[in-house]
Amino acid sequence: MKSINRFIYKDPKQVGLNAIFGNRDLGWKYELIGLAAFALVWMMVAGFFFTRPEFSQFNGFSPGPTFKALMTAAQESRFWISVFASLKRILIGISLAAITGVPIGILVGFYPMFRGLSYSPIQFVRMISPLSWMPIAILLFASFESAIYFLIVMATICPIILNTTIGVLNINPQWIKMALNQGANNFQLIKTIIIPFSLPYMLTSLRLALGVAWIVLVPAEFLGVSSGLGYLINDARDTMEYDKLMAMIIAIGILGFSLDRIIQKLQHTFSWSWNE
Amino acid sequence: MDRHCQPSSRRQFLKTAAVTCSGLFLPRAVTAFAASETLKIGYLPITDATPLLVAHGLGYFSEEGLIVEKPVMVRSWEILSESFLAGKFNLTHMLFPIPMWMRYKQKIPVKVLAWDHTNGSAITVRGDSNIYSFKDLGGKQIAVPYWYSMHNLLLQMGIRSHGLTPVIQPQSAKLEKNEVNLFILPPPDMPTALLGNKIDGYIVADPFNALAEIKFNARIMRFSGDIWKNHPCCVIVAQEDFINKNKTMVQKAMNALVRAQDWCIRNPGETAHLLSRDGEGYLPFPKEVLARVFENPKPDQVVHPDWNVARIGFQPFPFPSATQFIIDRMKQTLVEGDTLFLKDLDTGKAAADLVDDTYVSKALDEMGGLKRFCNCDITKPYTREETVEIN
Repeated sequence: MKSINRFIYKDPKQVGLNAIFGNRDLGWKYELIGLAAFALVWMMVAGFFFTRPEFSQFNGFSPGPTFKALMTAAQESRFWISVFASLKRILIGISLAAITGVPIGILVGFYPMFRGLSYSPIQFVRMISPLSWMPIAILLFASFESAIYFLIVMATICPIILNTTIGVLNINPQWIKMALNQGANNFQLIKTIIIPFSLPYMLTSLRLALGVAWIVLVPAEFLGVSSGLGYLINDARDTMEYDKLMAMIIAIGILGFSLDRIIQKLQHTFSWSWNE
Repeated sequence: MDRHCQPSSRRQFLKTAAVTCSGLFLPRAVTAFAASETLKIGYLPITDATPLLVAHGLGYFSEEGLIVEKPVMVRSWEILSESFLAGKFNLTHMLFPIPMWMRYKQKIPVKVLAWDHTNGSAITVRGDSNIYSFKDLGGKQIAVPYWYSMHNLLLQMGIRSHGLTPVIQPQSAKLEKNEVNLFILPPPDMPTALLGNKIDGYIVADPFNALAEIKFNARIMRFSGDIWKNHPCCVIVAQEDFINKNKTMVQKAMNALVRAQDWCIRNPGETAHLLSRDGEGYLPFPKEVLARVFENPKPDQVVHPDWNVARIGFQPFPFPSATQFIIDRMKQTLVEGDTLFLKDLDTGKAAADLVDDTYVSKALDEMGGLKRFCNCDITKPYTREETVEIN
């Protein structure tokens, strides 16, 4: 009985999270309208502030110069090298975080003892700005590139662990009960019920991690690397070329959106009927 | 046939063995060890890094026989210092007070090997402001790049000489008419903050002054070289341990750097081009901005035209008089954090202990001495009198 009870756990927060990152698709019309509204706000803010004569230097933040700069950048090899470098850092960082975070999340969700043990360390680490690890990253890692991976892992591992844990805890107790009645052991439970069921949650955790990883990337590329979208943003700041800065922001937005969409599609493929 | 052959081949064998053995145990082993160390250079995107970048760009390091990686750019003094201490860089440029703070506060054995450049900074204000001299700075907010910097030191010298008091307080706190509030701002944010009216002025290394001049007609209130004639700013720094283990290598690097400085003086336009993104791309700036740094100031921008100083100058020899002046002045400079270590510091001893000029002196000797770098007194070339005049 004891082993069944541990799965009966409901947290109201999960409902909220799933409402945003779940796989329900309201259709492209709403998405398009949302995007248009967002662009409108941008144009209004830019039109209101950056057309003033004293802010003329910041005119680059407006949509017109931004897209012009993006078009120019798209014709330069430097830009594409940076896109590739940043994507590589994001993907390697998140993969490393997932390889370590998902098994931890499953263990933490499945064994109450692990949950007790890990609760305080995870809550502790979760609150620390990943960038405060920067000096440690510089000291521990041989190359700046690996230091950046480390910073991304530190930023993304907590959302991955927590969301995987929530997935495991959210399991339908009836399924566990049934399996236990038929004499399943822990290994079989994890393999046939826990992992398949929490897969959508793991994918949600990757989507959360993706957002966090991009946040960390720009300051992480302060370190000694010579390419990357964050690096180009820093370059644009150094030279006060705000159209280029905004162009890189848009590029990051497009890349992030596309990556998220890919995981969303995966999520759709792996979502089981009981999750709806 | 056989009898002829054997002795000869035995002799051959012995010879080969001897060569191999000597190769294994004698000088070759030493060279191999020394050459395995690579010169790793770190820098910030400012013109202070010029000699390191030019020496790499023109291949001077390689010509000296050094194995050198492409210099690595990082974006803040913190990252540069941390990477330097972690061994990611073994040769770098730093503002003179930083190695001072490292050696005597943090007890990290670093040595100053040479001056990286002279002058090269300025106090910049908005074009429409009425700040023309230090006396106009009362009640103003001025940004500095780092507490342990030449900029902080020079600015406070100017402020105090006009009876004003430097303070470090929140920007919102009330500021008296005779007080100047100082705070830290990363150099790239300085021009933006000035344009956005968040600060009244800043003192920092070029090209962030030239950038503000070109981008939004900011005005140079005073060049740093117009306060203290040909003052040192960034210096070449290495860890003591590294220097002791790689004496030949450090000597070669120093030869290359002295040559590079000599080249920069004679080719300012080419230097700007080489560093810019239109050239080798060591710095993210366009050539137009860097060219401003490497051309001489206009006569109406300076208060000591007779000093005839360059906006950024090059002169590698670390004059002890200047080191002593800096240590003495740092003792009076307001910074945030614990400054007790400065009080107990014996200026003369520290100046001799912090700087190791043997390598740069040797490099200079090979190039025919200091006369290529300054119009100094040839009878006593390695001493000078510091000229400071604030008005």
